[in-house]
Amino acid sequence: MTDAKITTIEQLHAYLYAALQLEHATIPPYLTALYSLRNESNSPAWRILRVVVVEEMLHLSLAANVMNAVGGTPDLTAPDFVPDYPACLPDGEDDFAVDIQSFSAAAVDTFLMIERPAQAPRAELRLVPRGASARHLLAASPTAPGMQYYSIGEFYAEISRGLRYLSDEYAREGRELFTGDRRRQVTPEFFYSGGGEPIVVTGLESALRAVDFIAGQGEGLGGGIYDAGNELAHYYRFEQLKAGRYYQKGDQPGRPTGPALWVDWGNVYPVLKNAGLDDYPTGSELRRVAHEFNETYAGFLRFLTKAFTGQPELLLEAVPQMFRLRDDIRRLIRNPIPGRDGVHAAPTFEMPGVAGSAAGSTA
Amino acid sequence: MSAAGMSGRFLAFSSEVTAFSVFDLQGTGQAESYLSTVLRVVGEETLEELLGAYARTAHRPRTLEADIFSSEKLGPIARNIIKLWYAGVWYALPPEWTESFGALENDGTFTASSGAYPEGLLWRTIGANPPGAKAPGYGSWAHAPIIPPIPGDEPARPSAAVLADTQAEAHADVPRPRGPQAQQAKETAQ
Repeated sequence: MTDAKITTIEQLHAYLYAALQLEHATIPPYLTALYSLRNESNSPAWRILRVVVVEEMLHLSLAANVMNAVGGTPDLTAPDFVPDYPACLPDGEDDFAVDIQSFSAAAVDTFLMIERPAQAPRAELRLVPRGASARHLLAASPTAPGMQYYSIGEFYAEISRGLRYLSDEYAREGRELFTGDRRRQVTPEFFYSGGGEPIVVTGLESALRAVDFIAGQGEGLGGGIYDAGNELAHYYRFEQLKAGRYYQKGDQPGRPTGPALWVDWGNVYPVLKNAGLDDYPTGSELRRVAHEFNETYAGFLRFLTKAFTGQPELLLEAVPQMFRLRDDIRRLIRNPIPGRDGVHAAPTFEMPGVAGSAAGSTA
Repeated sequence: MSAAGMSGRFLAFSSEVTAFSVFDLQGTGQAESYLSTVLRVVGEETLEELLGAYARTAHRPRTLEADIFSSEKLGPIARNIIKLWYAGVWYALPPEWTESFGALENDGTFTASSGAYPEGLLWRTIGANPPGAKAPGYGSWAHAPIIPPIPGDEPARPSAAVLADTQAEAHADVPRPRGPQAQQAKETAQ
């Protein structure tokens, strides 16, 4: 499948755009599950989801750093940037749906699939033909239509391979691959979170480190349960919720032996799965507020795009905006949908102006 | 009548007296807790009396004040419900009330639930975060507070979205509500 390999800078940019899309696409499902928890009495689940979602935001910023380092332009405002949910992710030779839904055992199963370590059993299976599904697949090959990666890990492995390949090619021709404006990098002073600092990407070594960090924080490193920063990888964090037990140092995958952990599966707002504005009654306040949320979110993605294209200091101002988004999401989720007998609303993440969604109309 | 059957009427009354929409009230996540607080303190019969009086004001403008807020019995309870939504606290009924209508076993001043304080409407009303809870983000205090519009008064006051827009304008083209109302709000904001 040589035609799927990254051999040009344009292809590398396309892959990195797909990486930005992919890292962002996990955020709406994680946030919705997090804020569907009725209150913080479900604190283990609350903390695990919160850590993971904040780290996905770090991954998004790292993907932007790599994109900027190789002279690309992170654009979170493109019409296809936010997927139409359920989004679709590769699962070996098949794919699976990622729903926006309440916190539940089914949701955690999906999260495990998102973060699952999955190396293709044979090299020729790293890239496989897409099934009959017509849905837009995240981590599909941007350069070989009809092909998908065996897993997210394999998708990132191709980005790393492409970075090394292009760096060598450029060096041979006496050119520099990493020509991006250094001032576009998201540096630690503009990024406020736990779970790791942004890696400033200035060359091949730091670019590979950033890509490894993204992939490793999801699925662990080299078959272990910890990532490069000695933090429990996302897959194993979620596994604790199913196991009812924390991992501790020295544990083997699948066999946590730490303290017991309690999940109150029923203490959750039951939100409508993959709700769209059309699910909310015409003329209702709920519909108006859900529509306004989508506009606010689209504006937030425009704001992040500015931060990632030369004004990284804006990320400091993005933090209060994110807290307001949190409050908006919680208000939506606490509202029952009129006429739906106790089923609650959720943000729909339909971006205004995108064809095929009801996002443009409040009526 | 069960608490569930009363919930819609309790919310309608609460919306009227707090000037927050039913959506916003539900959005606090405290509706059930506040209804059960009121029921526990004043009892079903008295709450029914209040909600019944409210229902009768529906087609008679300006009777809310006369029939409820001026009532020796219902007035203090109605005011307590407003305070409950705004502060998350049930305040002990005044001595005049207990002298006339008898002391209630569950009356007293208390916070309705652990979630009540951060969800008090007063914080949204003044565009501030509840100190010690609901972190607003470092440096957020450098910006003007975002105050939600008063229902029925929207055209005169900029909406939160428009204000956010104005704040961020120096850096970003964040979403802009459409329509004449939004335009007017925007002009006010500037």
